[in-house]
Amino acid sequence: MAEPAPGWALRVTGLSKQFGRVTGCQDVGFEVAPGEALGIIGESGSGKTTVLRCIAGDVEPEAGTALLRRGPDVVNLFALDGPERRALRVSTIAIVYQDPAQGLNLRISAGGNIAEPLIAAGWRNFGRIRARARELLARVDVPLDRMDDLVGTFSGGMRQRVQLAKAVANNPALLLLDEPTTGLDAAIAAGVLDLIRDLLEETRVTALVVSHDMTVISMLSSRAVVLRGGRMVEAGLTDQLLEDPQDAYSQQLVAAARGTL
Amino acid sequence: MVSEAVLTVRGLHKQFVIHAIGRQVPALRGVDLTVGAGQHVALVGPSGAGKSTLLKCVWRSCLPSAGEVWLRRRDSTAVDLAAADDRAVVEVRRHDIAYVSQFLRPDGRRSVLEVVGRAAIRRGLEPAGATAAAAAALRRVRLEEELWKTQPAVLSGGEQQRVNLAAGTLCPPRLLLLDEPVAALDSGHRETVLALISGLCRAGVSVLSVFHDLDAVRLLADRVVVMRDGQVAAEGSPDETLEPASAGGAR
Repeated sequence: MAEPAPGWALRVTGLSKQFGRVTGCQDVGFEVAPGEALGIIGESGSGKTTVLRCIAGDVEPEAGTALLRRGPDVVNLFALDGPERRALRVSTIAIVYQDPAQGLNLRISAGGNIAEPLIAAGWRNFGRIRARARELLARVDVPLDRMDDLVGTFSGGMRQRVQLAKAVANNPALLLLDEPTTGLDAAIAAGVLDLIRDLLEETRVTALVVSHDMTVISMLSSRAVVLRGGRMVEAGLTDQLLEDPQDAYSQQLVAAARGTL
Repeated sequence: MVSEAVLTVRGLHKQFVIHAIGRQVPALRGVDLTVGAGQHVALVGPSGAGKSTLLKCVWRSCLPSAGEVWLRRRDSTAVDLAAADDRAVVEVRRHDIAYVSQFLRPDGRRSVLEVVGRAAIRRGLEPAGATAAAAAALRRVRLEEELWKTQPAVLSGGEQQRVNLAAGTLCPPRLLLLDEPVAALDSGHRETVLALISGLCRAGVSVLSVFHDLDAVRLLADRVVVMRDGQVAAEGSPDETLEPASAGGAR
């Protein structure tokens, strides 16, 4: 039989969330291996963002567990109190939102935005914070002469690059990406997508990538789950989901994506 | 699992269920097949016979409906790819199998050298050694060095195919799956690629291939499996199964 599956870094089971009478997500579960990026595909309203927000701690789930393993330690992300969750969001879990305005303060500089998580993690030396911010901005290809400009003056693609730099500032163990290229012009989106892929490969961070776009998912992840109406309808290898989708809804999604692939 | 073969396919069925039109399309109907270490087995037969589907079922970009696909791994453990969980398949792809089709997967805006270098890193090479390995692989397929810094998307079909081959063969896999690897190549580059494939077999790589070009099959294959309607219709040496050279067509 198959070799025992390699260990998981993140294990989500029975995740459910209702918004009043509307189902956010229902009984969602998956495992992500250390250093693996798992894709979550679905249309608007499929529940994919709800799943991500629950794991990030932005939204309180009704039921389920999300176990995060770091070395010998396992924490249930859904059982943390406020201070514990905030501490984990600084040291361990980072999220990149579709809208950079959600992840950044547009009224402060790029360098200031990146300094924020560093200071929260205990960095105190101004020179070292500046040096780290410079290093991160260089990594995401933001010109260093823009470091002290307000992020509000940046283009959409540049804002997203700053948000990525901020997200990886403390070398998180888990990176959550919510439609990270949606809304950007095609050429800009392609550049940001390349950057994300390079960051995932270089840092070997465990990641969840949420997107409605099969192309994004297939470039960033080797496995993915398909959500519809808050429920998982299929899980598989990304190229198998594209080549040989099993579920009726996955087949529709792929047929719709074919034009752009 | 008794066989020592690198690949043992047993009773493989594949049925595509197309929900939108409520149809079931049988593609494979009970295929048995083995590929030994360093052996090259070529699949031939008319379009729609199931050749590419069989390769994809081994690569697991298609999910087999029934049957077994046993792979003897480099560490000599065996895994049934028809039943293995997705993460186990990811591991097998990283270490033991390569799949080269005539189509290049979209790879963003990376250069040719980066695309092939990334493939080396995925196979476990250190970044420092990966670029050198990529350069060597690109030289083996005789891709002109001035193209190494360009994006694959702007290359010709034949050049893209050689990039694909370089990426698929730079760290010799246990099993190489080839779907029309010389389809877009001119005769000079075709010779280069055929020599590369035959060299890999001599070095112990097992190959399961689909070639439109039956002269390539005669030249390279140890064994030919003739497929028709999703089944094995005949099996034997190239001489036993193919018409004499240049007459063309499987018997």
